[in-house]
Amino acid sequence: MAEQKSQPKLQQAPTGLALIFYKWKVSLKTPTPYLMAFGIALWIGTYYLLVEGWKLPRFNKLPGPVEVITEWLSRDPDWGISLYTPEYYDHIIVSCRRILIAFTIATGLGVPLGLFMGWSKTFRDYAFPLLETLRPIPILAWVPLAILMFSGLETPVIYLATLASLFVTILNTLLGVDSIDESYFRAANCLGSKPRHVFWHVVVPGSLPFVFTGLQISIGVAWFSLVAAEMVSGQFGLGYMIVDSYMNITYVTMVIGMLTLGFVGWISSVLVRMVGNRMMQWRVRAMALEGR
Amino acid sequence: MADIATKGAISIRNVTKIYDPEGVNVMAVDNCSLEIAAGEVCMIVGPSGCGKTTLLNAIAGFHSITEGEILLDGELLCGPAKPLSEQGADRVVVFQNGALFPWKTLIDNVAYGPIVQGVMGKSEARDKAAGLLAEAGLGDVGKKFPGEISSGMARRAEIVRALINNPKVLLLDEPYRAMDSLTKSIMHEALLEVYDRTKVTIFFITHDLEEAIFLGDRVVVMTTRPAKTKKIVEVNIPRPRDYKTLSSEEFRLLVEETKDAVHEEAIKAFEAGERELA
Repeated sequence: MAEQKSQPKLQQAPTGLALIFYKWKVSLKTPTPYLMAFGIALWIGTYYLLVEGWKLPRFNKLPGPVEVITEWLSRDPDWGISLYTPEYYDHIIVSCRRILIAFTIATGLGVPLGLFMGWSKTFRDYAFPLLETLRPIPILAWVPLAILMFSGLETPVIYLATLASLFVTILNTLLGVDSIDESYFRAANCLGSKPRHVFWHVVVPGSLPFVFTGLQISIGVAWFSLVAAEMVSGQFGLGYMIVDSYMNITYVTMVIGMLTLGFVGWISSVLVRMVGNRMMQWRVRAMALEGR
Repeated sequence: MADIATKGAISIRNVTKIYDPEGVNVMAVDNCSLEIAAGEVCMIVGPSGCGKTTLLNAIAGFHSITEGEILLDGELLCGPAKPLSEQGADRVVVFQNGALFPWKTLIDNVAYGPIVQGVMGKSEARDKAAGLLAEAGLGDVGKKFPGEISSGMARRAEIVRALINNPKVLLLDEPYRAMDSLTKSIMHEALLEVYDRTKVTIFFITHDLEEAIFLGDRVVVMTTRPAKTKKIVEVNIPRPRDYKTLSSEEFRLLVEETKDAVHEEAIKAFEAGERELA
């Protein structure tokens, strides 16, 4: 009995913030964060050496990292835009708002359309050829049409971003339904399901891993096409900021815009991934057991 | 569950199944007849690809049949006028690779049948599911997802998910195929325990002859494709059986007898395979 008492007790699994802290602590013991930091340092170092250190031809016209960071953090920026100017945030907010609207519409339409196309062969037969014809048209080719179709400056931009992510979302959701093992459908049927049960209990949850992979790609594509659209038609937004600074030869601001875009895009991707993990606990837990 | 023993008699009468992929007729089952009594454990063995699963799929309603008829307790499941039987919770399948929904906890998996059939409310079904899982020794893992438990546990949970529906027939398609022999023997005892309690008719496909004789009342040896019944081995070893049965003389003789029949078909299947490749 004494021996049994001395055995260590199984700890209660951490949850919430404690879990995040625990994961963070564990990850510090792996090479991952150090490699990430090294990767970024290597990139900045190379950038610095090429542009500001060695001033190689072709690179010497670009703003270097020191110049960009000094401007970015300056309370009184030489070229008008930094972390301390409200205009900077106006551009970010405008772009984020457009992405939010476009991504919401694309997801709200794309996921149900993809699910139905995957679930109903008849519906797929109608809709798939159309999808496959429209999908390869580059988003920039839609720009004139978008300007013709929609009045104002805002709607065409949102329309273009929506369209690009819609196709990605539909296709990935459709593939997600296709990826579900036939035995789950059979199991559901022999347990007495009606078609609507199969839809809600097999089709929807079974396709989620693909849906969320699709949504991560789709939000990236939304940023991509948003910036393209803002460059062509727009008065605000990060895309506009980049092209406007290029026109005005304020290259430092242009690079600030690009880096901001990268950062905001990355955050939006992380948010989508977090929602996905929240909705697919079954997958997260199974993968954790496999050490992934 | 006591009334189940009187239900679940399957009559397979002159069933033929011809597949037609890419315009080439392939006969999977040829004029196969088999009577399975209510409450019987009927083990089906035969070479790979001989059409055993085709027969199971026809009973379950996953595939149609080309000729013949299948009856459950005298009622037609499928026949000439209705080649595909309706899928229903009176014949629940336990699949070769497991088909617990990975996105549902074990409790929700088990509670699924009664909820979608509308026989129980959600909380009632969950309570019952938790109770049945506990009876099967899975009480601690009821709130876990299938990806978090061992394959042995998952298979037991899958059988619980079938049994909560009070099925007339359990259709098992090589459920213990990928398991090591130690886990397998535990699974066998668990299944026998379930059977002794419920007396549900079991249609069990396997490649493992010892498994077939240890679990079955009868072992049906199928011919190589197209499948017909080649030999039926009556297993008269009294129940309840346990692992000691495996070392009895009677058991050994039955394995020998079955092995001879299966071996002959395995050679034919191998030669046919060689011919197809040549």
